[in-house]
Amino acid sequence: MELEELLYKHFGYSSFRPGQREVIEAILQEKDVMALLPTGMGKSLCYQLPAYILQKPVLIVSPLLSLMQDQVEELKRFGEKRVVALNSFLSITEKRNVLHYLEQYRFIFTSPEMLLQQQVQEKLAQMKLGLIVVDEAHCISQWGFDFRPDYLRIGEWLSRLNRPPLLALSATATSKVMQDIRETLSLQAPFEFMYNVDRPNIHLGRIVLGDKADKASWLMRHVKETAGPGILYVSSRKRAQQYSEAFLQAGIRTAAYHAGYGAEDRQFIQQQFIDGELDWIVATNAFGMGINKQDIHQVIHESMPANIANYMQEIGRAGRDGESALAILLYSDGDEELAKFVVTGDLPTPQHVDRYQELLSQQVLPAQMLKNGELGETAFRVLDYWMQQETTEQVRARLNHLALEKYRAVDEMLKIIKTKDCIREHLVGYFGQKLQKKPENCCENCGIHYDEIKKVRLNEEKKIEMVLWESRLQQLLLGN
Amino acid sequence: MFHQILLQIFQKLNTERTISAAYHVLKGKRSGQTIQDIGLFQLHQYFGLLPKLPRTTFDEAVKLFMQYSWLKVQESGHFHMEKLGLQRAQQTPTFFFDGWHYRGNEHVFFARLSLIVQSLSHQTAAVRSFSPISRDPSIQAWVRSFLQDHHYLQGHLQQQLLAECASVLKNLPVSAGSKQLVLYRLSGYRLPGWTWQQLADERKESVLDSQLAFIESLHILLNEVQQKNDYPLLKQMAQGLRVKILLTDSAQQTAQLYEKGYSIEQIGQIRKLKQSTIEDHFVELAMYEPNFSIGPFVSYEEAEKVWQASKHYQTKKLKILHEALKDMSYFQLRLVLAKGEV
Repeated sequence: MELEELLYKHFGYSSFRPGQREVIEAILQEKDVMALLPTGMGKSLCYQLPAYILQKPVLIVSPLLSLMQDQVEELKRFGEKRVVALNSFLSITEKRNVLHYLEQYRFIFTSPEMLLQQQVQEKLAQMKLGLIVVDEAHCISQWGFDFRPDYLRIGEWLSRLNRPPLLALSATATSKVMQDIRETLSLQAPFEFMYNVDRPNIHLGRIVLGDKADKASWLMRHVKETAGPGILYVSSRKRAQQYSEAFLQAGIRTAAYHAGYGAEDRQFIQQQFIDGELDWIVATNAFGMGINKQDIHQVIHESMPANIANYMQEIGRAGRDGESALAILLYSDGDEELAKFVVTGDLPTPQHVDRYQELLSQQVLPAQMLKNGELGETAFRVLDYWMQQETTEQVRARLNHLALEKYRAVDEMLKIIKTKDCIREHLVGYFGQKLQKKPENCCENCGIHYDEIKKVRLNEEKKIEMVLWESRLQQLLLGN
Repeated sequence: MFHQILLQIFQKLNTERTISAAYHVLKGKRSGQTIQDIGLFQLHQYFGLLPKLPRTTFDEAVKLFMQYSWLKVQESGHFHMEKLGLQRAQQTPTFFFDGWHYRGNEHVFFARLSLIVQSLSHQTAAVRSFSPISRDPSIQAWVRSFLQDHHYLQGHLQQQLLAECASVLKNLPVSAGSKQLVLYRLSGYRLPGWTWQQLADERKESVLDSQLAFIESLHILLNEVQQKNDYPLLKQMAQGLRVKILLTDSAQQTAQLYEKGYSIEQIGQIRKLKQSTIEDHFVELAMYEPNFSIGPFVSYEEAEKVWQASKHYQTKKLKILHEALKDMSYFQLRLVLAKGEV
């Protein structure tokens, strides 16, 4: 059967999106593949379809439990029953069952942590896998060294395994990150696909303002005059809360969104945003995982993104419907200092290294530091991994190097902000691509007529009112 | 509501315990001391209402109470309520929490209900795919089999559930506002729920207060559903969530050995635990095991004396009682107090 026919048969789509066909064909030729495709552009299909052709189990390693659950749900919606998530949610009995029947599943999702367990490794070594997928592969590099040490260990495991082709997937990666992925996963002469990073319908604004207060008054005026839906990115939960309250007071339908909210609340906000009940979301960078709203018209950064990749990913949420959209970055002198402070906030310090050593010499488990709240969970994970691999001196040097790398990434972002040339050209060049054509209203430096893109905010949008419990109950179960 | 609840707990613990004891009650700490406090001071309804309550939130409230001159806290953490505080506590309404029996399980009930309602709502709209409000695989598995057991594909389940919910809520002794609150924590097709912040803003109260009003409504609802036979669907969702065994695991093990005829000392040796720990278990047994007799440890006359002393001195403090009844051990005193007046 032709690939298109299989695509239609299993997923009901009649054509491929850019890159999917090339990636799938390479996989079927048993090549290693590195594919960079933006979120919401059918990344998962690159392994979903081959699974039906290969007729062997596909192993997908995914770093985030919530993301894994999303993918499992998605496959189930397509009617696939032979899908399992082998993760820490399983009880001991469930895990034993899953492991026992593992070869009968078509899709096996698992976490890096799980892959390191001996019984899991033994089971996988006995099986004939059709494909191994490393999802969010940039975790190996971009945040990987600090946030996901377990991902590094996968590299070690893969090199021992007599393995099938490997597919590394990511939404964002610079050439440096791609190099890290290639090396850590030991990809063999991989086929590489990278989507066109330029999004011509997103117009790149940059506005320089005096200080925090100027930004606040600029933002207030801006959201009163222009139309959403939009996302405002800020640097802290507290700031998100403050802006959200101020916008609400001005009668603008807004919600704050950050990792401090429970899972239900976060889903409620996403749903309200998608259903058009909210015009603005004020978010820390926790927002975005899994959100798929087509008509986001504006993305504004109140503070500097940590790096260019984050910036691209965040503004990339605008204009998925192809309509003109605005990305505006607000900058005041010295913003990079705050950004640097924030990006290194979750790194372990030299004091933590000493403390780790001290606990070891007292024969106390270093995890005590975590329990005492002396440092965050991710910071501890990093520290713990490297302290087991290297000497104290090496770890100190490594942490120092990591901090410098993060500073450098902020400086690269700063260069984009400060440039007097075309911002778009710079951004695209950063990802190793060449800009084909400048759109109209390209960027701040090429000149933007904001009036042509901005939509005027129409009359007060209707605030959603509560209805009586009886009516709500009726609506929920029987529809309107 | 949070402040009112705290006032009520402080009132009951007045002069007898430290302020931390109140915190442990709200967090639902499963230690012998807290479990005994629950029984001694009749704090059952508040147990484990807020398992995630940050200590800072609690401390802030205490600080506020001190500023208001509602209570005074000593260096040691012991406190007493001042006149104004006692007055305020008198003015608080009666709450109908049942923390002792649900211990956070009300959230399991609500997670089941939420996912069922969300599924049925999408089915009504003929939309097959949605992102489930509960990610917990055990909740998902439970709901899946619930829906299948009730042949949801036939499309009658919506009506049945609607009728049950409407009927139970209608007569529930809870304000219309609280019922609305519960309904807005549910979501459906194109009907997102409201966040705690949004609900609290609307109700002009703190997020914590909205959450407490929600928990109280669920406790009342759960007790109603489990006592009657009129709500089979909801009853099924509430199945297994009311805690039946009220002892800590460790106390239960001690009870089993005691039943086999071992003495306190022997149980201590077998379990490699300190005698005082085993004694804690016996106090727990005295409190929560109606068939447990304290007779082998204390005579009836002695028990009588303890009660008289407690009344006379207006206290349950062991130190004072021990001074009054020098020939009785602390263990004996605790057993009597735990068993309660017969």
